[in-house]
Amino acid sequence: MSAVATPEAARRVERLDRIWAERPGLVGWLTTTDHKRIGLMYLFAALAFFLAGGVEALLVRTQLAAPAQHVLSPSAYNQIFTTHGVTMIFLFVIPISTGAFGNYLLPLMIGARDMAFPRMNALSFWIFLASGLFIYTGLALGHGPDAGWFSYVPLASKQYSPDSGIDFYALGLIFNSIASTASAVNFIVTIFRLRAPGMSLNRMPLFCYAFLAVSFALVFALPALTLALVFLELDRQLGFHFYDVAAGGDPRLWQHLFWIFGHPEVYVIILPAFGIATSIIPTFTRRKMVAFPFVAIAEILVVFIGFGVWVHHMFAVGLSTATTIAFAAASLIIVIPSAIQLFAWITTILTGTPEFKTPLLWIIGFIVFFIVGGLTGIMFAAIPFDQQVTDSYFVVAHFHFVIFGAAVFPILGGLYYWFPKVTGRMYDERWGKASFWVTFAGTLATFFPMHILGLLGMPRRTYTYHDGLGWGGLNLLQTLGSYLLAVGLLMVAVNLAVSLRRGPRVGNDPWGGDTLEWATSSPPPPYNYAVIPKVSSAYAMWDREDRAEDARRLDRGELVLEGGHETPASTVLDAEWDEVLRMPPSSWAPLALAASLAAVFVMLLVGHPVTAAAFVALCAIVLLRWHSIEPEAA
Amino acid sequence: MSEVTRSAQATGAAAVAQVARARRTLPNGWWGMLLLVAAEGTLFGTLIASYFYLRFQAATWPPAGIAAPDVTLPLVLTAVLVVTAAPMIAAARAARAGRRTAAVWLLVLATLVQGGYLAAQVVLFMSDLSSLDPRDSAYGSVYFALLGAHHAHVAVGIALDLGLIARLAGGLTNYRVIGVTALALYWSFVSAAAIAVVLTQISPAL
Repeated sequence: MSAVATPEAARRVERLDRIWAERPGLVGWLTTTDHKRIGLMYLFAALAFFLAGGVEALLVRTQLAAPAQHVLSPSAYNQIFTTHGVTMIFLFVIPISTGAFGNYLLPLMIGARDMAFPRMNALSFWIFLASGLFIYTGLALGHGPDAGWFSYVPLASKQYSPDSGIDFYALGLIFNSIASTASAVNFIVTIFRLRAPGMSLNRMPLFCYAFLAVSFALVFALPALTLALVFLELDRQLGFHFYDVAAGGDPRLWQHLFWIFGHPEVYVIILPAFGIATSIIPTFTRRKMVAFPFVAIAEILVVFIGFGVWVHHMFAVGLSTATTIAFAAASLIIVIPSAIQLFAWITTILTGTPEFKTPLLWIIGFIVFFIVGGLTGIMFAAIPFDQQVTDSYFVVAHFHFVIFGAAVFPILGGLYYWFPKVTGRMYDERWGKASFWVTFAGTLATFFPMHILGLLGMPRRTYTYHDGLGWGGLNLLQTLGSYLLAVGLLMVAVNLAVSLRRGPRVGNDPWGGDTLEWATSSPPPPYNYAVIPKVSSAYAMWDREDRAEDARRLDRGELVLEGGHETPASTVLDAEWDEVLRMPPSSWAPLALAASLAAVFVMLLVGHPVTAAAFVALCAIVLLRWHSIEPEAA
Repeated sequence: MSEVTRSAQATGAAAVAQVARARRTLPNGWWGMLLLVAAEGTLFGTLIASYFYLRFQAATWPPAGIAAPDVTLPLVLTAVLVVTAAPMIAAARAARAGRRTAAVWLLVLATLVQGGYLAAQVVLFMSDLSSLDPRDSAYGSVYFALLGAHHAHVAVGIALDLGLIARLAGGLTNYRVIGVTALALYWSFVSAAAIAVVLTQISPAL
């Protein structure tokens, strides 16, 4: 498609440029419905929260560097580590993986021109941003949440946490889950309906399978969290008794609801990383993924089984033996689909001709850390062992290996991998490799000693520890490791920022990538593809004849869809071309609705239900306005 | 390209009907609503599970001194609400066939009944509040949370009805037809949830 040969083709491209032109300047960004712009906004917002969460982590590590330190007061420490957890999970990893990578890449990979619901996509972003600012307002006012990211009752109840920090947490996360649900629904419908004609489900890239699985996990997991938080707020603000034993409530109800959400959430965090790995590995090993259908099924299966293992977070609570054993068994079974994927990645690398460029290095780092974190994960399925290490640093070690090592490493690798697609320029390879090794060493030094400290008995969430316990040396090593880790991340940031201006310009497809996003120009035009690509396998870019055919179809004007903001829709399984959809134009409504909703949550926080109801009415008015602009009429 | 319809063509009733007929899968709006309903269904499922979780922790349910819930009236009201799913589905069919007037009147009929249902439920809710305080026991807490969640879904549905009736009054478009289709699905879900909610609500008296 790169060669716009004939005058007819050039005229068509010009026409598409005119039809899909975005509004200029800031207004263009505030009203945009373009999935790529929304993806970039997600990226920068999530990175800003990553920076905040990272600074919090460094504060925690500095406080723990030596025994009996006073860098942070106990109360500040509690707020900082809680906000660190909430930030990294809800405001960084999930938004950057689904919001940024998913939004930017998924429509490109399936050959669509936008998401199924472009305005709702913008709404998701603005709600996510508002919810993050909402939670951080609490911290800035000195009322950060301070009961840990899973805020167990009764600690989080009004009696023991009278401060408004928990309310910022509960309302902020309810608000945030609206954004996640909306974007999950959007991904599923986009995958079901907007795949390019010919991309039947068996020809869909594994990246998209991962995002499909993640989206289903979000749709079915978030309601449990929302309900738990609504119960918590009813208890705290209106004096209900869901979690109060004295009045017939039960604090274990919170734990069950939280972990019914919380364990699928773990897969929401890790599966996009799997998807990124399955994109990078084939490109840099020059071969197709081993066991494609098994990997696709395993991605779905991991989410499915993930809904049945939540009690392994509660083995120390004292539930019945029958319950704990059933969940221990499920927790062992879930190893199987994870292992299938792991073996498939390793085999693909071993049987391919790997070229160890920066993106692949991050994926190899990911595999190493996933094996370590996965093995400690399996250990938790052993009930007596789990009971021994519950609430110790061993747990902290495990989930940082899986969340930082296994989920964030592919995200960083993905930033390098798709950098030339998004910017049209190449990053610096030597600095890229150096940044990987520094981050890798920093990660090991920060998180590995936590295993040992946990086994020695160091409890998690402790604000300090005594000198005589002998934990000082390992803690100091971890703190130094965390600084090294920060240096590594800084190297990534500097490399990409400098390359953004100075990097050499590379063409559309510097890697010889396997999926469709490499077919279009870098950066892609607002309409993604001048001609909707022809697809006959899951490695569409490696089907050279199809790509040549795309160029010929542009000359003929076949599947160009130059009658307006249009994209084709297909049947769900076989992706037979079904209709041509008109997509909505840019709009202020998503931003206005998110702002009105934010006002609702602020009013609920300060306890003004009547004002909150007035803002709900305002939301309804904005929605009416939203739906009065119909794509077909625009 | 000629065999594939374009949503942008669907400007008048006849063209709208033709686009709806030619579509081989269900429209995006319907899929979006299905997934929203899946999430909301999970919400009700967890809410009802929480109800029984608390119930099975309790020695007596409802706690001593609280009367068992009334059975007949909630069941009758639920039956009335469930019946309104029929005009909703009929309205969606009429809209897809390009019959705008029929669709509007079926929607108005359903909305009136749903509005009456909600009014009756709100009156009941208030009278329940005078005899049972949600701040006294976990039973009261979960009882009112369950009913409140259900009533909120009915209220949202009525608001959607009204918005859509207002839009349909201005003519039939592809966008609005998909809206009615999605709304009919929403009400089918609310009806199904209503049955689950009422059975949970009256369960201590059964």
